[in-house]
Amino acid sequence: MKYLVKPFEDVGKNTARMIVIFWIGALLLIWFLTSMGERHLFPSPQQVLTGFVELYNEGLVVHIASSLWLCVIAIFVAIIISLILTYLSTIPVIKPIAIAVSKLRYLPLTGITFYLAILISNARTMQIWVLVTFMSTYLTTSLLSMVNAIGEQEFDHARSLKCNRWEVLWEVVVKGRIDHVIEVIRQNLAIVWMMLVTVESILVAAGGLGFLIKNSDKFMNHGRIIALQIVILTLGLSIDFILSFIRKTFFRYSKI
Amino acid sequence: MSYSKHNTLLYVENLSVAYGDKVIIKDINFVEKDVVREGSVTGQVIAFVGRSGRGKSTLFRALTGLVKPTTGKILIADTLTDGGNDAKEVEEGDVGFVDQKYTLFRNKTVYEALLFALRNQKMTKEEKHDKIMSYLSEWGLEKAKDQYPNELSGGQRQRTAIIEQIFCSGHYMVLDEPFSGLDVGNIEDAKNAFNLISSLHSFNTIMYSTHDIELAVELADSIYVIGYPTIDGEHAHYGTIVKHFDMKALNLAWKEFGLGHLEIVKQIKTAMLAS
Repeated sequence: MKYLVKPFEDVGKNTARMIVIFWIGALLLIWFLTSMGERHLFPSPQQVLTGFVELYNEGLVVHIASSLWLCVIAIFVAIIISLILTYLSTIPVIKPIAIAVSKLRYLPLTGITFYLAILISNARTMQIWVLVTFMSTYLTTSLLSMVNAIGEQEFDHARSLKCNRWEVLWEVVVKGRIDHVIEVIRQNLAIVWMMLVTVESILVAAGGLGFLIKNSDKFMNHGRIIALQIVILTLGLSIDFILSFIRKTFFRYSKI
Repeated sequence: MSYSKHNTLLYVENLSVAYGDKVIIKDINFVEKDVVREGSVTGQVIAFVGRSGRGKSTLFRALTGLVKPTTGKILIADTLTDGGNDAKEVEEGDVGFVDQKYTLFRNKTVYEALLFALRNQKMTKEEKHDKIMSYLSEWGLEKAKDQYPNELSGGQRQRTAIIEQIFCSGHYMVLDEPFSGLDVGNIEDAKNAFNLISSLHSFNTIMYSTHDIELAVELADSIYVIGYPTIDGEHAHYGTIVKHFDMKALNLAWKEFGLGHLEIVKQIKTAMLAS
């Protein structure tokens, strides 16, 4: 047992699995113990279960679908904008624009939503564009880092094979880094998912998980809030897993 | 061993490369001609040796057209014309380049990479396929045909990178430290690859750098030592050719490594340490 508390010690797969099971068990035990009695911080497992049932009866699946659809549309639009900006950033005259978009990630959400609200009247479109605006800044930042990380020797290699500059861009950056783009989406997904819930809770008209959370929060229904948190976490981790699976399955050469 | 020199294949005059105020290489002048030996096809094998940071890689980037010379010119034989004696300034893609890491397209298998290298050749799909398969077989890469670079050994990567350049760049090839990081077996493979390229066409010219002086002396028929020149008793801080050994004139080229070669190794080491 001593080796389990030794820094840098390698453990077998089964042992690693047992450690994870131990911690999950410990977490559940702590949850049970701390939610017993009259006064407690977290809702009891029974309250959370009730919250799940209530949410399901109120159309949880529809709200999940609504959030996922919003996420897919926003990611799609944002990644297209970010990719165009990133690929064109290899052209000196475009580079400052791409860098400026990346820097805009420091802008607060409120200021931007004000101007978007003036331009867009539809709640759903508004949600999409708030997300797209913010995701584009984060995605552009990560994609610019991806391009900057490409070694000079890869460009030299393409040039030595008589590729003109546009071919170099196509072969080395666009085609050669598709797997990295998926990884960039995966890494930024946590921010997107977190913002999605925030955006939905600001503009409740179109529903979604954010709307449900806000609604539950208003009525201090903690069982429902924790149930929703579990749903959101599980969905986020599932998307993360799917993206990682796609990258490893379709891009055999990808060792990121 | 009798030989004669014919057309000029490589002409470098007053070459210098500077990045901003920093001069990396300067006053580089050399000429390499087509060497003809009776009864055998012999390409040119030219080695560049020198201590680290003396500008070998910059010289190679200039020779391959990947960096524009600040001054001077690099001319190669325009082998596409009938006479074979016309000269042209080197441009990107004229001279093949295999870097130290044997860089390949990370998203292309060996077959796809070679097919890409042949994309501009006027050949049918079948001819391209046959050519690729014949090279893969000759260079021992048949089993690696559908593998990606990250699934290849160092030696396999290097051979793939060399074939790519043979397919695309004609008669000239630059290899930056082709023997570094290879085990004994792979070094033998690389030496065989040199012989193979050299025996394919009399115009084929291999230029390579190495820190292994014995290998430079064993393989090359012309050796240039790159180092800092001494001017008025002080080292200048740019690389240039400080010594040239014409192994053909010394009657040491194309021969088994012997005492004569050992003497050259000594002289090269002395020249390197002094520069």
